[in-house]
Amino acid sequence: MESLSINVLNGIAFGMILFLIASGLSVIYGFMGVLNLAHGVFYILGAYFGLIVRRHEGSFVLAALAGGLAVGLLGLVLERVFLSLLHKRINEQVLLTLGFVYIFSNIVRWVWGPYAKLIDPPAFASGTIPIGSASYPLYRLVIILMGLAVAAGLWLLNNKTRAGSILRAGMDDREMTVGLGVNYGLVATVVFVLGAFVGGFAGFIGLPIVAVHPGIVFDILLLSLIVIIVGGVGRIEGVLLGSMIIGLIDSLGRAYFPEFAYFTMYIAMIIILLVKPTGLLGRAL
Amino acid sequence: MNPETTSWDRPPGRLRYVAWVPVALFFLFVPLFLPVYLQGILTKALIFAVFATSLNLLAGYTGLFSLGHAAFFGLAAYTSSILVVHYGLKSFWLVAPAGVFMAVLFACMFGFIALRVSGTNFFLVTLALGELLYSVAIKWKSMTGGTNGLVNTSAPNLGLSWLPVDPPFFYYLVLGVSAMSLLCLYFVTRSPLGVALQGIRESEPRMRALGYNTWLFKYLAFIIASAFAGVAGVLFAYHSRVLVPMHLGVTTSTLVMLMVIIGSDRVFLGPAVGAMVIILLEHPSSLYTPERWPLILGSIFVIAVMFLRGGISSFLEKTWEKAFYASAKR
Repeated sequence: MESLSINVLNGIAFGMILFLIASGLSVIYGFMGVLNLAHGVFYILGAYFGLIVRRHEGSFVLAALAGGLAVGLLGLVLERVFLSLLHKRINEQVLLTLGFVYIFSNIVRWVWGPYAKLIDPPAFASGTIPIGSASYPLYRLVIILMGLAVAAGLWLLNNKTRAGSILRAGMDDREMTVGLGVNYGLVATVVFVLGAFVGGFAGFIGLPIVAVHPGIVFDILLLSLIVIIVGGVGRIEGVLLGSMIIGLIDSLGRAYFPEFAYFTMYIAMIIILLVKPTGLLGRAL
Repeated sequence: MNPETTSWDRPPGRLRYVAWVPVALFFLFVPLFLPVYLQGILTKALIFAVFATSLNLLAGYTGLFSLGHAAFFGLAAYTSSILVVHYGLKSFWLVAPAGVFMAVLFACMFGFIALRVSGTNFFLVTLALGELLYSVAIKWKSMTGGTNGLVNTSAPNLGLSWLPVDPPFFYYLVLGVSAMSLLCLYFVTRSPLGVALQGIRESEPRMRALGYNTWLFKYLAFIIASAFAGVAGVLFAYHSRVLVPMHLGVTTSTLVMLMVIIGSDRVFLGPAVGAMVIILLEHPSSLYTPERWPLILGSIFVIAVMFLRGGISSFLEKTWEKAFYASAKR
């Protein structure tokens, strides 16, 4: 029984990491319809930029915010200089981000080398806490809380603010929204920067658990894609649900069917696609 | 749809095909006088020309941008090499169809799953399905050799003892198969099926309203495209001699998408030109700055998407037609 509860807790923690990984992608995809394939690059750049600040300033929280901000700035440049010129050409926008995957992952390899980076959790969240007779790393609980906080923030933004209603209106009918006098270009830029910020922030926050190196850009992208295929896009609840399901399936799969562990999340994805192609809580895009 | 980019509805002017004569002569005779490694590069370029053109049946003609097309390429390559290495089958006539058959079989399954979604979601579902095969290739070490790769150094055995087995022979085999594959794909795009696919790209609801079973057409396009990716894959297995899981994965899928976009997804031979350009650029880069190749590739990609809207070959085609019609008027 205790091993089951530890497995479930592991699954929830892994699910929250998945949520943090996927949230940056899903913000941009769900709120403005652009599938940002450079998301994996944003994620690792956040981690690397954060590491610089961590080395010089020492503060973990400051480093995470700096990682997010640096990637957000990069997102601002990419959106203003490139993506906004490809107005309404969704396929070209997606393919453009693919070009940036090649460019930035190569630059990262150039600057920081191919080695994996992993750091210790910050002092305030290191150590373990006892659960029954077992003990559990405290940082995983911090991750769970952090994921919930990000989810709550994005949910409030989307459902309770004026910006959120503009976003939802823009996803339903962009022309009509623009016709009503909304500066949708500005909104799109803000969304892209926000998504980039969340992606970079998650990259550093996850660093004590997920080692980062230039080779994982497509793995990060793939995990995010599986999560949003299962959970659906357009609503943050969907992404949260998707990451919880994939996290639990993966963790329980590893415990009970180790030989198929690698494929359980794909199987879940395929079943969802066959049963409900829009994802569990998704809206058609 | 911008009318000037639909290049397949040009008024007939048989003489303008004269541009193809030097191209055909080049591919038929020049490689005989080239050193072996340059012959190898041309061989690889031809293989990727078929691969990229097969993807364009989906991307350019049907509007389904697949980021998992290498799955079928790699699957066919692995299948044929596994049959040679692990089962001792030597005959090209057995191994090659088996590889293509495997690609078609998986295309039937993956196409069914991937066509459940449309629009931008198609990107992500095809990418994820391709990565599924990639991870199988990594994990199934007894068959695929895992990340160490699967080595198959045998030359294709056509069962014709009088044929020499040297690099020029392989070049001409690839040339023949590629030419036939491109011809088949060309007829597909000109057939009623191909025209219907273009209709689906322009407006699927309208095609449905006209009574077309658009799902079936897209499914067929997916399977045909995968079959020809399989043909390219089988040839690639013999050319490369080492297969690694990367050949099934997103790296290869995005590379071939790059060829399509750079060459032009609006001209039939555009992707083939894109493949030639990329493969020819890859060679000097691998000599001088192998580490920076992805950076160059990514920059070319960004430039192609941002500035070369129609791709290289629609630029070439327009220039040629302008020159041709200008000289014809005189």
